Amino acid sequence: MAINSSSNNHSSKSTQNVLFKMRSFVLFLFAVITAFLLYQASQIKLDASFTKNIPLQHSYMKTYLKHQENFGGANNILISVCDSEGDIFNESFFNTLKGVHDQLFFIPGIDRTQVKSLFSPSTRFVEIVEDGFAGGPVIPANFTANKAGLNIVKGNIEKAGIVGRIVSDDYSCAMVNASLMEVNPETGEKLDSISIAEQLETQIRAKFEKNNISIHIIGFAKMVGDVANGAKSVVTFFGIAIAITAIMVYFFCRSVKLTILPIACSFVAVVWQMGMLSTLGYGLDPMSILIPFLIFAIGVSHGVQMINSVKKLVSKGKTSLEAAQISFAALLIPGGIALLSDTVGFLTLLSIDIGIIRELAIAASLGVAMIILTNLVLLPLLVSLIRISPTVEKKVKSSPKNYGVQDTSKKTIWDFIANFATKGPASFILIFTSFLFIFGYINSQNMKIGELHAGAPALHETSRYNQDTFLITNRYAISVDYMSVIVETTPDACTQYKIMNVIDQFQWRMENVPGVQSAISLASVAKIVNAGYNEGNAKWRVLSKNQQTLVQSIARVPSSSGLLNNNCSAMPVILFLDDHKAETINRVVDAVKLNASELNNEELTFNLASGPVGVMAATNEAVKEAQLPMMLYVYGAVIILCLLSFRSIKATISVVVPLYIVSILAQWLMTALDIGLTVSTLPVIALGVGIGVDYGIYILSTMNEKLKNGATVKAAYHAALTERGSAVIITGITLAIGVSTWLFSDLKFQVDMGIVLTFMFLVNMFAAVVILPAIAAFLWKDKK
Amino acid sequence: MLRILIVCLGCFLGGAVNANDAITSSMLAPLAEKSLLLDITSIQQKKLVAVGERGHVLLSVDGNNWQQVSVPTQETLTSVFFINNLVGWAVGHNSTILKTTNGGNNWHLQYSNPSLQKPLLDIVFKDPFHGVAVGAYGQFLRTIDGGKTWLSEFHEEFLLEEDKAFLDELKVDDEEAYFDERESILPHFNRIISDGRTTYLVGEIGLIAKSNDLGLTWTKFDEIYRGSFFDLSRTHEGNLVVAGLRGHVFRSLKNGTPWQESKTDTTSLLNSIVLSDEGRIFILGNNGVILESHDDGHSFVLKMQPDGKSLIAGVWFNNRIVAVSDVGIKNIFMNSSGFNY
Repeated sequence: MAINSSSNNHSSKSTQNVLFKMRSFVLFLFAVITAFLLYQASQIKLDASFTKNIPLQHSYMKTYLKHQENFGGANNILISVCDSEGDIFNESFFNTLKGVHDQLFFIPGIDRTQVKSLFSPSTRFVEIVEDGFAGGPVIPANFTANKAGLNIVKGNIEKAGIVGRIVSDDYSCAMVNASLMEVNPETGEKLDSISIAEQLETQIRAKFEKNNISIHIIGFAKMVGDVANGAKSVVTFFGIAIAITAIMVYFFCRSVKLTILPIACSFVAVVWQMGMLSTLGYGLDPMSILIPFLIFAIGVSHGVQMINSVKKLVSKGKTSLEAAQISFAALLIPGGIALLSDTVGFLTLLSIDIGIIRELAIAASLGVAMIILTNLVLLPLLVSLIRISPTVEKKVKSSPKNYGVQDTSKKTIWDFIANFATKGPASFILIFTSFLFIFGYINSQNMKIGELHAGAPALHETSRYNQDTFLITNRYAISVDYMSVIVETTPDACTQYKIMNVIDQFQWRMENVPGVQSAISLASVAKIVNAGYNEGNAKWRVLSKNQQTLVQSIARVPSSSGLLNNNCSAMPVILFLDDHKAETINRVVDAVKLNASELNNEELTFNLASGPVGVMAATNEAVKEAQLPMMLYVYGAVIILCLLSFRSIKATISVVVPLYIVSILAQWLMTALDIGLTVSTLPVIALGVGIGVDYGIYILSTMNEKLKNGATVKAAYHAALTERGSAVIITGITLAIGVSTWLFSDLKFQVDMGIVLTFMFLVNMFAAVVILPAIAAFLWKDKK
Repeated sequence: MLRILIVCLGCFLGGAVNANDAITSSMLAPLAEKSLLLDITSIQQKKLVAVGERGHVLLSVDGNNWQQVSVPTQETLTSVFFINNLVGWAVGHNSTILKTTNGGNNWHLQYSNPSLQKPLLDIVFKDPFHGVAVGAYGQFLRTIDGGKTWLSEFHEEFLLEEDKAFLDELKVDDEEAYFDERESILPHFNRIISDGRTTYLVGEIGLIAKSNDLGLTWTKFDEIYRGSFFDLSRTHEGNLVVAGLRGHVFRSLKNGTPWQESKTDTTSLLNSIVLSDEGRIFILGNNGVILESHDDGHSFVLKMQPDGKSLIAGVWFNNRIVAVSDVGIKNIFMNSSGFNY
């Protein structure tokens, strides 16, 4: 199967004959399929389901899913209404707060029994009086928002102990919170987080945020909505990427027709990819929405190779049909190999047990496979149909102003670059590269795993959502960074002192771990309730050894508190952390494991983990575990494909070594820019390697042929440069343009992915042009 | 095989001893000084000793830097008392009594009675040998040998009339039920204070009593309030102040006059009375309440601590209150103009 071997040429040629003879039929087939898939693609849905983001097979996530029904309750909405002038005790604030409360109550999908604010009847104060407890609603039935009424409410708020939860610590804000149902009661369908988020924006924020009152909304559904909105904005970037790419291609080929064709074909590839995804039942999520960019860019880069070849042939006097046929035959194999290695590279991502990465793998490999058809088959067929205008042909042939000048100047550049394949410059390049590699390798060891920044990691720190998160976590005693350790034990375990005491000990040990801000469990709440039963006397804040007394103190804690399940055979210890940085998570997780191993017994076990940070911990571990196998698979695939196609270990080394150096440099870049290895950046490395190999394959396929025919390394490299050099550079630039528009995304992970991919595309191109010939210079001995 | 068995036996034994250690000794924890602490005392204004949950005992010479010491219990300790600069006791749940003879550096377990499932709430000594520990449901222990032996007493003089009649009846009918009932029929004894010759006891259902023989016989004061009292103190001018549930403070002049209620502007539980060395009286309470009096307890001004934490006990130490709370040690400066920071 070696490239350009006579048998291959033969088979390509026979394929080519059949194809070009039946070209009307083939084109008709393409048109029909495109129309069908275009319709399918228009039906594609934005899908941001939560479970796709987590490693479902990880042991933490099994615990999480097992207890999701009882302690899931993570799908909450918190709305903080704040008064920028002083405190909340004024009439207009209370009217707004009541408005927000009532409005939220009527949004379909909100669990109406769980809407909680100062105005909900369940917000009560309890005080200890001589003969027991006394209490009432914090806002009494006869409340009027005058000075006296507000004073009473203020007193009740203090007695109710809700400062920090329902009212902010500094009394400048009050909270309305609610939990969301699984299904929309009006339609009976699964609740659409994105539409909830939209309603929160239009019906709450737009309506009530005015003058000195501000509205701050956080919660999973709101975040999903904001991420979806951010993801939608990439459509604009897609337009920009197409425009810039078109201009680049035009400057390369100086022909409108030859510009439109590869772009149109690449666009068809995108349509096919999205149509196929939709047909297969997949949706687009904020990560896979980036794949069309990649497909488009890869498509254009291969299309450029095709029109480069056509253009050169036309300038030598061939007709467009002949040029198309020859280019097809010449490029089907190297192009096919390059695209196949991309596809296989992406498919290796399927080995990672995180839904969103797997879908990315499917979307990307589907798309690249489509390019084989659209840009290596459809494109030459279309080219064969058009008449390349005489002016272009003329320009291409003879114009001294344009192509001619360019050509000579290029030639001098190629002459210079070809020297990289001689031992003198090559030694210099290799020594310099070695230093760079060693330096990069050492620094890349500090690459962090996980999210490194505060707030919702998908969004920028400056985003409204994260600003709202910071405000709420600052002003309330509420933390969004928490992890639940689930105690699994026997039914009715919470009525046994010895079990509750172990939970209490575990909680105390964990509270002493740096990074744990505070903790809560049924045990710690039961102690406070017990003091409550004893007149609020703190000396009784203990777990009673008397079973009846213990039951009495637990009976007041409902299972809706999320601190126990129905028969208290499962109870979480909720750890509130300082942040969700990888090192904090690691420290806490290690401490949990250590303490669990010391305290687990026949009757109870401490199990990691639930809560947002629990999910992050599992994801971090899954990402860390996946990193090495993924790299091995990607490189394995690339190496095998190179060996198969070049039948040369030397050629394989020349392609793979620069690739590996660039991967390491990309990790160094991530370390330097504080980009952690996450669900979104992990696949980027595979994508970068899978696509980055294209340059090397294109250059070496020509070089390999010349070397076999006895050319010197320098001559072989020079030939490769003149044949493919400008196309390789254009390829690198078009790819980089496609992904660099992500830098302007509203979504932080898209920015991170954009940075790393742009870097890998550009630097892989340089490496293929600079490091590859330098290695080749030492691997092949010139036959003189 | 035999060898394996022997080795495993060793494992089991080793495990048992370790497990035992873990249960009986308090764990040294970085956050002990920020945990729930329930009592604090100053030893001759030179050293502070605080005790609290999980057997936490902390020592300090300046009120700012605290050193936790290990003690042979993990029970919650509710009270601490020193008779001189070396000898002291701490009491807590499970009727635990600990003693130190070296100023709090080392403690040993003198007494505990888990089967009762009751806490001891306070302890007082008249001299290094004669002392009394009191607690929930009228628990009353006495020693005459510095705590080597503790003997339980049942003070039926604190029974209500109808309860007394009921008990007498039960004693005849069903002796087992009688002893069972006796375990929980008395009110909680919250605090016992020795003031020279006189010993005062305050507790549940408005209990205030005094004794001239370290609690062998008691004289009850007339009921002035049916809620609980948590502390009593003799003021600088020799008057008595008592503080209790829902912000209730009463004062009696020179032992004799009827109790007068002082206005407090709070309904929080009042835990502890602290006398400053320059004549002010402070009363610490739940929800961050500090009451301050400049007129020997006749009137109080309410000073809320902004964090709203329960202030459970305190001492006057180097011109400030060093208090213990549900979030541990707190140094509270109360300057004379009434502005606190």
